[in-house]
Amino acid sequence: MCQKELRETMRDRRTIITLVMMPLLVYPLLSMALNRFLVSSTAGTSEQTPYTIGVETDDEGSLLLAWLEDPMSQPPAAILKASKGNLATFRVVNTTSVGLHPKQALQEKKIDLAARIELGNPPRLRLTAFNGDPASQGAQRILTERLHWLRLARAEALAASQLTDYTPPTDVSVENIGVAEKPSMLGTIVPLVLVLMTITGAVYPAIDLTAGERERGTMESLMASPVPRSYILFSKYVAVVVVALLTAMANLLAMFTTLWAGRLLPLLTGGEDAFPWLAVLQILGLLVLFSGFFAAVLLSLTSFARSFKEAQAYLIPVMLLSLTPGMLSLMPGVTLNGPLAIAPLINIVLLAREVLQGTAQAAPAVITVLSTVGYAAAAIAIASKLFGSDAVSRTSGQSFGAMLKRPTRSTPTPSPQAAALTLALLVPIYYLVSNVLMRIVPELSITWVLLLNAIALVLTFGLIPLAAVVLARCNFSTSYQLATPSPLTLFGVLLVGLGAWGFAHESFVLAKQMGIGGLDVDRIEKTRQTVEALKVAPAWLLVGTLALAPAVIEELCFRGFLFTALRKVLSPTRVIVTTAVIFGLFHVVTGNMLLIERFLPTTLLGLILGWIAYRTQSVWPGVLMHFTHNALLNLATKYQDKIAFLGEGFENQMHLPASWLIVLSTTTLTGLAVVWFSTRKPSVANSNLATTPA
Amino acid sequence: MLHVDSLTKSFPLDDGVLTAVDDVSFRISPGEVFGLLGPNGAGKTTTMRMILGLLEPDSGYAEVDGVRTAADPMAVKSRLGFVSASDGVYPWLTVREMLLYFADLYAVDATLAEQRCESLADMMDIKHLLDRRAGELSTGQRQRVTLVRGLIHDPPVMLLDEPTRGLDVVGVQTIFDYIDILRRGGKAVVVCTHRLDEAERLCDRFGLLHAGKLKYCGTLNELKEQTGQASLVDIFVDLIRN
Repeated sequence: MCQKELRETMRDRRTIITLVMMPLLVYPLLSMALNRFLVSSTAGTSEQTPYTIGVETDDEGSLLLAWLEDPMSQPPAAILKASKGNLATFRVVNTTSVGLHPKQALQEKKIDLAARIELGNPPRLRLTAFNGDPASQGAQRILTERLHWLRLARAEALAASQLTDYTPPTDVSVENIGVAEKPSMLGTIVPLVLVLMTITGAVYPAIDLTAGERERGTMESLMASPVPRSYILFSKYVAVVVVALLTAMANLLAMFTTLWAGRLLPLLTGGEDAFPWLAVLQILGLLVLFSGFFAAVLLSLTSFARSFKEAQAYLIPVMLLSLTPGMLSLMPGVTLNGPLAIAPLINIVLLAREVLQGTAQAAPAVITVLSTVGYAAAAIAIASKLFGSDAVSRTSGQSFGAMLKRPTRSTPTPSPQAAALTLALLVPIYYLVSNVLMRIVPELSITWVLLLNAIALVLTFGLIPLAAVVLARCNFSTSYQLATPSPLTLFGVLLVGLGAWGFAHESFVLAKQMGIGGLDVDRIEKTRQTVEALKVAPAWLLVGTLALAPAVIEELCFRGFLFTALRKVLSPTRVIVTTAVIFGLFHVVTGNMLLIERFLPTTLLGLILGWIAYRTQSVWPGVLMHFTHNALLNLATKYQDKIAFLGEGFENQMHLPASWLIVLSTTTLTGLAVVWFSTRKPSVANSNLATTPA
Repeated sequence: MLHVDSLTKSFPLDDGVLTAVDDVSFRISPGEVFGLLGPNGAGKTTTMRMILGLLEPDSGYAEVDGVRTAADPMAVKSRLGFVSASDGVYPWLTVREMLLYFADLYAVDATLAEQRCESLADMMDIKHLLDRRAGELSTGQRQRVTLVRGLIHDPPVMLLDEPTRGLDVVGVQTIFDYIDILRRGGKAVVVCTHRLDEAERLCDRFGLLHAGKLKYCGTLNELKEQTGQASLVDIFVDLIRN
């Protein structure tokens, strides 16, 4: 499907024009314009571009040139060194030879400065410059300075010859230290260019592959085919991303090559005239992010449109709106932090700037990437809901309002689109809630901290999926997998829970040894404070807030809601892996911190929990295992002093003793075996995908 | 093969509710051509869309080859072929690429799809067009390509929505030949049309829809007996007037 979409788009001559012709034509033209601009703005800085002074007579010209050629008119050595020994150059012309008075020639901008010399003792020089003209003002300033140096040097020479005890007030010498900072325009200009490039590339294919299907009359036969709309939309998304990427790459290549050929690269890079390979590679990585975001957003809008014209009308405001965040990259002082890390488009623009300036931080960068992926997923979910709706509904189109209406009939499980939208909502809300918590935590007692954590968990991972289930009129029992498991299964998962904490601990240690995350001095101190606080917290509170609440809420969300929604479109293995990775990622982001070392153990735990949910077709065994696992870990922390006989491993973030590993492994494997035996004939067929008639 | 039972569908309007299809039932056997007739707005397309699983019925069901649309819309779609007069083509793809794309959508094996592409193209006389861009084809050629497209996955049931609309004499004859091929191939065929003269020549049985209700259903002789009218046109006019 992706191949067809790409083939169709890439053969379209309108795509080719955007992809090839634009970069081929635009950049050389821009380069020529830039060259012209540079030539005019560098007037006077070299022999090729001297300032032009107009005089009325040849005598005036000769006198003026004599002053300028006098070595005494040169600035002092320190100033000359600062300009690398380059002196502004002047060309003196007699304007009357072309029939113009110098002032007239200046009015017509044929010269930079008009000069008139009244002979006398001393001769009087009258200069006329053009208001607001940089070249004219520059010529006037430099000429005045040069003549000032001449007067000064002659006066000093005279004083030295007349007065034997003459000494100048001071002798100035200048020394420069440090490495000069080379201002780079890459970080400021490129993010804006990236926005423009990716939008330019994505606009046409996004319209053609969605609204175009309607105009060609292929929509109805496409909707009649036995392929879920989300698949069709995803293949279109891939095609739009690829075209946007190719267009942006062609633009980049043309831009850098043109600048390099025109010797204008240092202007952009602030460095040498070498091709900036590293920056180009960084930009390519950023392009994927920009293309992925814009392709999804544009598709969600064009899927709603019924014609090319309607789609264009939707996209023009979006393109203009996109330029505003693009401009942010030009503003100094705005950094990727706090709420800006989850602000759509603004976050990727700022990330691009920080990456190119080499100041990017890992935590906001990961949050930016994750939230952008979430926004793109939500946009595609909306697009697949809207796409083809007019081929399906009786009337000519479906409104956004209709899309949000509650269905009249109940459905067994939530749709993958609903799951994607829920996840997209969870990312920013969870980030904001955890940030707020991190801010107020230092002022609260441990009891309040634990209670607030549990409440935040219920409000985010509990209520948001619940709202999605209620709004979509989904059956609670099938959406959350609330079936009752057998006692043997529960016994099995209890064993798994009793043993699995050891694996979580070992993977944490392993992650640390591999250099992934680990605890720095600051974090060790914070962890020590947390451990001390947990030691004084009552056991019931620890178990209730850190074991029971996460076990129930997270299992209902990840192994219930998300699991059954994804099961509609993914194989069991993929569902288990996907939910485990998402589960792991949510545990990595806490406030503004990035606890990468938590990814491996939580994802591993997610894999086991996912497998149990798949085997048992119920969320309750997972709840029991999750509860046992968390309760053991937290109680072990609380009673650390009393269980010192376990050895030092647990306390000091080291591997557990081998004897303990053997016991824990045996317990876990026995538990898994019991689960497997007790669910030997699982009903693997998804009730929603049953092919037998009801 | 195709069983429609008590299909009902209403749409909310600003000033009330429109029942587009009201308790419609019929059965079609393999090798039978059923004409679903009615004036514009009678509910033909809505019925068709419910059979296709594009619209969810308020009540009743459509069953294709033993599978209900509501239970498994994807399985039903894979058993249905659908051709509409407004069908278009992908102008930048060749005819072969477009046909193979649809075969892929219907999960037809690649080798089998190639073979079907050749044989169907031969049957509909478009073999010489297979490697031409679809955008370069004439209206008649495009029509034949879409007819082949509807059969690329060899469905047991074919749905034709106003297949002769906007076609010239040659185009209409192509449709007649096509339906004949379908009948001989043992397909159950539903033809939605308001062209009664064509329906009379094409169909074995008829269902007359009016204001969402299936007023009459049977062979031409059965309809004549039921209504006392001499022709399909007379039956139709009488139905609308009374």
